[in-house]
Amino acid sequence: MSLSEYLKDRFLEGTGARLLLLPALALIAIFVVFPVVWNVYVSLTNYALTGPRARIYGFIGLENYIRIFRDPSFYNTLRVSFLFTLFSAIIGQAFLGLGIALALRMREPEGILGKITRALKITASTLVFVAWIIPEVVAGYAWSAITSKGGLVSMLLGVNENIYVKYPFETIVVANVWRGTAFSMILFMAALEGIPQYIYEAAEIDGAGPWKRFRHIILPLISHAILVDFILITIWTYGVFTMPFMIVGPSGQGGPAQIWTLYVYYNAINVYEVAYAATAANIMFLIVLAMIIVYLRVMGFLRRWW
Amino acid sequence: MGKAGFIALIILWLFLASVAVFFGIPLVWLILSALDPNASPEFKIPSTISMENFIRLGEPVSGVPPYMWIVNSTIISTLVATIVTIASILAAYVLTRYSFKGQSAMLTAFIVFRLIPPLILALPIMILYRMWGMMNTIHGLVLAMSALILPFTMMIAESFLKSIPATYEEAAMVDGCTRLGAFLKITLPLAAPGIATIWLLAFVTSWSQFVLPLMIIRTPSLMPASVGLQFFFGEYGRVEYGKLSAFSILYSLPVLIVFLIVQKYLKRGIAGLVTR
Repeated sequence: MSLSEYLKDRFLEGTGARLLLLPALALIAIFVVFPVVWNVYVSLTNYALTGPRARIYGFIGLENYIRIFRDPSFYNTLRVSFLFTLFSAIIGQAFLGLGIALALRMREPEGILGKITRALKITASTLVFVAWIIPEVVAGYAWSAITSKGGLVSMLLGVNENIYVKYPFETIVVANVWRGTAFSMILFMAALEGIPQYIYEAAEIDGAGPWKRFRHIILPLISHAILVDFILITIWTYGVFTMPFMIVGPSGQGGPAQIWTLYVYYNAINVYEVAYAATAANIMFLIVLAMIIVYLRVMGFLRRWW
Repeated sequence: MGKAGFIALIILWLFLASVAVFFGIPLVWLILSALDPNASPEFKIPSTISMENFIRLGEPVSGVPPYMWIVNSTIISTLVATIVTIASILAAYVLTRYSFKGQSAMLTAFIVFRLIPPLILALPIMILYRMWGMMNTIHGLVLAMSALILPFTMMIAESFLKSIPATYEEAAMVDGCTRLGAFLKITLPLAAPGIATIWLLAFVTSWSQFVLPLMIIRTPSLMPASVGLQFFFGEYGRVEYGKLSAFSILYSLPVLIVFLIVQKYLKRGIAGLVTR
């Protein structure tokens, strides 16, 4: 077989085609996999952002890990991250998203009343969607402005102070609910559309009221969607950085709103302790990895059994 | 409609209206303050409505005229979108047209990569770039950003190419077309809307990205809009609200337009998670 024949028949048809994977795999290997590994290495050194330890740094073993597990600010950030994710993702986004999705499915009456209902539905769902797609820095800026002294929120609460200073944790929770609800809304809308109309009708004929219909028909039929939604928004909310950064700054107003992403940034950039920040990032990465594995398991289970 | 039905309708209206108010207020404030030459955090209808804030975006902030940041963002996002679209299509072609060992593991790995919080990567990339001399470079930012977005576009590309039957290509090859020819003449035109979607989504994702440029780019004149925007927060806590809102709106426009184009596809993608 000549070389050109080999290239044409064997190479392109078989092994050679895999070369097309190369650009994608190279990018991922150099800028995703390698950095994650490098982060582990850095966490075992005393590397700093500036000063002598930025140039000459040494291997210090597990010292950073020992130090971090004795650091109260690390436990603070663990607690704040957990509460932030719980309140903002599960309690906020998921429930509000489900509520809006249900409201959008409500029947519209005939005539002018129906037209008003329809207009309200479109306005509400469009605004939820826009809040989700505008650049995160813009969302962060808008929230930091309206929670500033003299802004709408401080007027409504009758507090003539910066709300994001007085209630930093609550502010980033609410702002993140605002930002992320659209995903749950769209997911639940899709799940609700998947329920055939005749099931509702049958239940109505059998005399089931709205609550019973929700509890015994809708809820069981969308339980898989709720599961998928919970896991995904938990992973995403846990990794949120930009909006809290814009609203409460890297220190999280001195701690009360310092979720782990802010903690990592603060230690690396503001305190110059890059290796220590890498240590925190690695521990937090293990947590998110565990959540991703749960997600993969759940999706695999659903694909097989549902 | 009975009395109970009417009350239910009113409750529905009140709920939808409060949703609209909650989600609308920050957006409405953004628009009102952009049109107000004397903008402040206060929620008010401007006494004089003018485009002054938009015009004043020509004036330099921190030595850089703000439109430069939009230009930078355009260059960066165009490069990123083009790189990831090509890389995704090529990889997705192999993943959907050939079968080899480790294929499903590779797809799973891409789901994992897609869910990693960007900051986890941004920190070590900054450390590596300081070693590699790639801090403050556009090509450094473009490469890292491409890698960050690639898992997302890869999966879209994979689902698009999977929906185009390989039998079309096989038929063309039976008729004497080469594999490359079949791909270029049959699959590529069929995938064109998908490719456009991938490019646009990659463009706006990179357009909005914040963490990577924040860690990598330190020179104001090289910054994309997401990071340059920080300079409107002047020293001593003084914020130029009017100009910043005007800039925010200009900066958000491309994203809004793209999502208007691709929203159907996007909603179908999310629906795909929960429907068979």
